[in-house]
Amino acid sequence: MRILVVEDDTDLNRQLVTALEEAGYVVDSATDGEDGHFLGDTEPYDAVVLDLGLPTLDGLSILENWRRDGRTMPVLILTARDRWSDKVAGIDAGADDYVAKPFHMEEVLARVRALVRRAAGHASNELTCGSVRLDLRSGRVTVDGSAVKLTSHEYRLLSYLLHHQGKVISRTELTEHLYDQDFDRDSNTVEVFVGRLRKKIGADTIETIRGLGYRLGEARDE
Amino acid sequence: MKRVTNDANAGPDRSAARQRSLAARLIFVAAVWSTIALALAGVVLVSRYERARERDFDTQLEVHIKALIAEMLDTSAGASAATVEATVTEPNYRGDPRFSLPLSGWYWTVRRADNPSILYASQSLVGDPLNTPPIGQDEANAGFIIGPTGDEVRVLQQRISIGGTDYVIAVGAATAGFWAEIHEFARLVALTLIIVGLGLTLAIFLQVRIGLRPLARLRASLSAVRQGEAERIDEALPREIAPLAVELNALIVSNKEIVERARTHVGNLAHGLKTPLSVISNEARAAGGPLAEKVSEQAAIMSTQVQHHLERARMAAQRRVIGVACETEPVLARLIRAMGKIYQDKGVSLTFRQDGAIRFRGESQDLEEMSGNLIDNACKWAASKVQVKVAMIEDPSTSRDMFLITVEDDGPGLTPEQRAEAVKRGRRLDETVPGTGLGLSIVADLAALYGGSFELDGAAIGGLKARLVLPALRKE
Repeated sequence: MRILVVEDDTDLNRQLVTALEEAGYVVDSATDGEDGHFLGDTEPYDAVVLDLGLPTLDGLSILENWRRDGRTMPVLILTARDRWSDKVAGIDAGADDYVAKPFHMEEVLARVRALVRRAAGHASNELTCGSVRLDLRSGRVTVDGSAVKLTSHEYRLLSYLLHHQGKVISRTELTEHLYDQDFDRDSNTVEVFVGRLRKKIGADTIETIRGLGYRLGEARDE
Repeated sequence: MKRVTNDANAGPDRSAARQRSLAARLIFVAAVWSTIALALAGVVLVSRYERARERDFDTQLEVHIKALIAEMLDTSAGASAATVEATVTEPNYRGDPRFSLPLSGWYWTVRRADNPSILYASQSLVGDPLNTPPIGQDEANAGFIIGPTGDEVRVLQQRISIGGTDYVIAVGAATAGFWAEIHEFARLVALTLIIVGLGLTLAIFLQVRIGLRPLARLRASLSAVRQGEAERIDEALPREIAPLAVELNALIVSNKEIVERARTHVGNLAHGLKTPLSVISNEARAAGGPLAEKVSEQAAIMSTQVQHHLERARMAAQRRVIGVACETEPVLARLIRAMGKIYQDKGVSLTFRQDGAIRFRGESQDLEEMSGNLIDNACKWAASKVQVKVAMIEDPSTSRDMFLITVEDDGPGLTPEQRAEAVKRGRRLDETVPGTGLGLSIVADLAALYGGSFELDGAAIGGLKARLVLPALRKE
């Protein structure tokens, strides 16, 4: 899962990036409005954490631009202006949720988790596929009830596939969502991680669709 | 010792002075002035007329004196100038038939200047001496005396010298007709002036009414602004009061600007303080240890303090903004939509009902803040349902129009003691649910600021029921 953080305060930006990375996300960040807008416009993110008060281009305008250009990724706005008029203006501009400053990192993580899950069409914080179960709150993965230890890359891969289970996910899409923008997209590390994950959760859980990509679970009509 | 201040006593007088009508004052002053002017004009007119009539009267009497003198002198043919001077004959003057009629009011007498007894007199005197005033050394004089019938008589006297002897010739006429004429004239003048005065008063009244009409228009325009029906005062007014409208508009604009500036300032301050607070508390929570714990705890206190003072500053900024009002329906519909999105995970069914159009007499941001806090709170606690209703309050006993927003949820609700506690500042009954604990107390403070009220009750659907009463814009 790949998240974009747009926050002009460098300390807060760093804290958000660290917390999100620790929670298993791949995170890109921007400290001004124009950079943030550009990243959101060009990279496929699973969620965006967007501060409203930004230099060069304010958060509300960025959001409106994204939505006008058909960018549908869920957006969580951070705002120090916590009047309802500000929050509603944010929601009306296309935000999916808001967190008022000052906030606890756990709250932001919970909101981001919910946004990503909701965007993929899941109602619960527990994602299951056959005997594989992932608790999004704790990050625990079990197979047939017994805990499985995954590396962060494996976790991200499983989480993405579980969020989009039933769908064929191309290698490119996986690369885009599992690595940050500086990653060398030509490498074939995805295949390596899929192989390792299969060993831990069962070889037949992840199906390879030749020429197209991978699929977790039964095929779903789109 | 009890001290009585002048101010306390001056209060009612000042308010009476304030309430006195400008129109009444203008009409009163104009009426007093025109009454005085008309009365003066009357007095001058009558006295001028009297003087003219008197001169006229005297001229008549003078003609008679001259004719009488001519009669007294022997003017027979052949008499020389010297004999003329020496001879006085008894005049048989009948220049006016009334001199022959007994006690007709018209009289004449001829006396020697050194002897008051009558030499000759008109028949009309019937032997009465006609008490003429002494002429002294004057050539002529005029005056009023009481005649033989007791009536006032105007007498004109002239001294002439004939043959070395001084004679005083007096001609008099009763003034009864003269005064009657003067009085008749005075009555006519008075009547005319009264009619003119009444006409003038009516004209003044109309003039004041028409003249003050732009003021009434200004008042209506200002009232429309205050009610929030208009943005600015109509400046198409007469030259004299147009500057007032312009000044008032400038005042309204500056008032709004001040509030806007204060809001922006508060917003900037909020942003400036809250971001570092987030950084500090998150850093502390991540670090762990006693120092981090202390920092975390103090950051939480600072956060509450900042929130509290920002709210206070915001409320101070939004006081007495005139001329603002908003429709409740779009504001609430927008909020419900946003809440639906925020709480979509929870699966709360949000319903909103409003009967008819209602306008809130205040800032839409404040309405949004109050109802936002209530609906947000209800959504947090609701099991599955939140109902929002808005309706006018049908209470003829109050002069102000108010409307009621009720927000009900089917959550666990609160006991009466908890409800009282919940509206207190910064009180959070459940620390596990995110929030500052200021929401409900902000609602209570804002509602009080608008002269409304806020209370918590048990809801029919099981949870908490919030009742928020706010001023509505009068239905015209």
